[in-house]
Amino acid sequence: MTRQKLPATAVAVTLALLTTGEHAIAQGTSELEMRLEAGANRIAGVSAVLPTAGMALTPGLRFANRGFSLETKGSAWLNGQEWRVGDAIVKTESRSRTWHGVRGELLANASRIMASPADVSNQVDAAGRLHFIRERGGVWVGSGIIRPLLIATVANASVNSGGVWAKLGSTTLRATVTNVLFTKFASNDTAARGGTVTACPTATSSAAVTAPGLVPGMSALTLPTSAPSCRRESRLTDVEGDVLWEHRLLELSLRGGQRFGERVDVTPSSRTWGSAYAAIWLSSQLAAVAAGGREPAQPTRGLPARRFASLGVMLAYWPIPRGTVPVESPVNRVHAFELRPAGFALQRLTARIGSVESVEIMGDFTDWVPVPLVRRGRDHWELLIPMGPGMHQINLRIDGGKWFAPPGVPSIKDDFSGEVGVLVIKS
Amino acid sequence: MRAIALLSIATSISFAQDTRDPAADPLGRLDPSTRHAVEMLMDSAHSVGLPYGPLESKALEGIAKRANGRDILVAVRRVFRALRDARTALGPSATTDELTAGAGALRVGIAASELSLLATTRNGKPLTVPLVVLADLVTRGVPRDTASLTISQLWQHGAADDDFLALWRSVERDIVSGTDPGVALLNRAREIPAKGPSTTVPPPATVRPEDAKS
Repeated sequence: MTRQKLPATAVAVTLALLTTGEHAIAQGTSELEMRLEAGANRIAGVSAVLPTAGMALTPGLRFANRGFSLETKGSAWLNGQEWRVGDAIVKTESRSRTWHGVRGELLANASRIMASPADVSNQVDAAGRLHFIRERGGVWVGSGIIRPLLIATVANASVNSGGVWAKLGSTTLRATVTNVLFTKFASNDTAARGGTVTACPTATSSAAVTAPGLVPGMSALTLPTSAPSCRRESRLTDVEGDVLWEHRLLELSLRGGQRFGERVDVTPSSRTWGSAYAAIWLSSQLAAVAAGGREPAQPTRGLPARRFASLGVMLAYWPIPRGTVPVESPVNRVHAFELRPAGFALQRLTARIGSVESVEIMGDFTDWVPVPLVRRGRDHWELLIPMGPGMHQINLRIDGGKWFAPPGVPSIKDDFSGEVGVLVIKS
Repeated sequence: MRAIALLSIATSISFAQDTRDPAADPLGRLDPSTRHAVEMLMDSAHSVGLPYGPLESKALEGIAKRANGRDILVAVRRVFRALRDARTALGPSATTDELTAGAGALRVGIAASELSLLATTRNGKPLTVPLVVLADLVTRGVPRDTASLTISQLWQHGAADDDFLALWRSVERDIVSGTDPGVALLNRAREIPAKGPSTTVPPPATVRPEDAKS
């Protein structure tokens, strides 16, 4: 019993070497990424779910095109002398075309957590969302179901959610409200803490409560199925906000949340949470990353609340196989394009373009000679270029492809079967 | 020995040609006849008081985009004519940027009389941004009459460069979202408050969306 009362604190010190073999194949309208992360973890605290110490290996694969994306990710833990598969998840997302700023989205996930060969939990979930998108913000509402499998203390769950996001310069703000309704199998522990359920069968509930590592109020794995009379409808409401700030070589993310629900459903350690993540790009392919904070319990997945801290480095590799022919309009691959004054007759040009190998510009200010931008991080490209006041024409090119007018600036036909962007720099 | 010397000279010439500094002779990559014709046009522009920079720039752009000499010459001639017409429409006081922007507007089909109307009500304000926005809107599918009338009205109501650029961003976003380009322009133009003195020209809101589609 003493072990159960220990806080579900997992302090992980990770010195991770994330070797990202990211082969982004921009062929047609599709993108394929492969990723491999490797790291060492040491976890303090008691948990029936997470390994206490070990190496972690996390491969991932992502395929995306304009209307669909598929992402898989897993992790294997070296705990002692044996490798053990920790978890695996497959995520899919389908998106409709945007019509008058409205887009429909369908999300479906399947995940598995394996604490040991005997302790396995599976979950499938699906949700539909309606997303109202504007240039620098949006609102979405969604609803879906969660089906936990092999988790004895939680049955079917439904989830309703809504969110709002806004982009202010290089800062992205987001707030979400998620309401989860699920059927929970009660225990004597539940009744003792004020639950409104009737008494449960003694044998079943005792087994549930004394399961090794079970955190009070948390679901456990591979517990015997309770009698129907023990079922209890539970509700959790999570209010969460996060801020992502990206500035040149620095990425900073702060996240915090509050969980509302009855005392019997929400442990004190899951009432509030917060975390921070920071990455600074030391070179175009090397970043130092640090993260830490507290995560709430995930009842439907059988995960307890936990604290974590991590410090590591990330090595990134971004090749595009030569010879591939991107058919997708290149302008759609430019997520941001900005020009800011950077001193007398100088402009700092920045662009966010992911999964590309080279970005070049040219214009009247370069006498139409291509000038390469310098990669500064994951998808951040930059160039300091002389450009005096007045009207200028500019073209952008990705991976040696066709020249096009950058997004976010007016454009005109160029007489050579293309378009050229027009900038007006004020004095 | 003589053959080696000739080979050496030939190699030197070839190397010299390959390493020629493009900045020193930017038009050197044109074939001789095209280059001659382009330079003649530049001289003509200079002699009639037109800026010849846009002509050279167009030729260099064509070189960079690997256009053939004939296409480059056609493009440069087109720029020359448009600059000349733009100066006629905008007046002799128009700046190089205004002429270039005006040429762009003429080339997408905006009437010279519309440019003249803008120029006569400029009150010393630069016309470059309104003309750039006007040309872009027509390129994106806004009917010419709707675009020129709306821009003209906003201009006369005192809209500033930032207003025109904000209008352009909004309309572009609406068009991408599926809104009819003409309707998008009319709707967004209503959001810009009048800053100048009222004129006899009716405000954009009085232009019916169905007219914009015609």
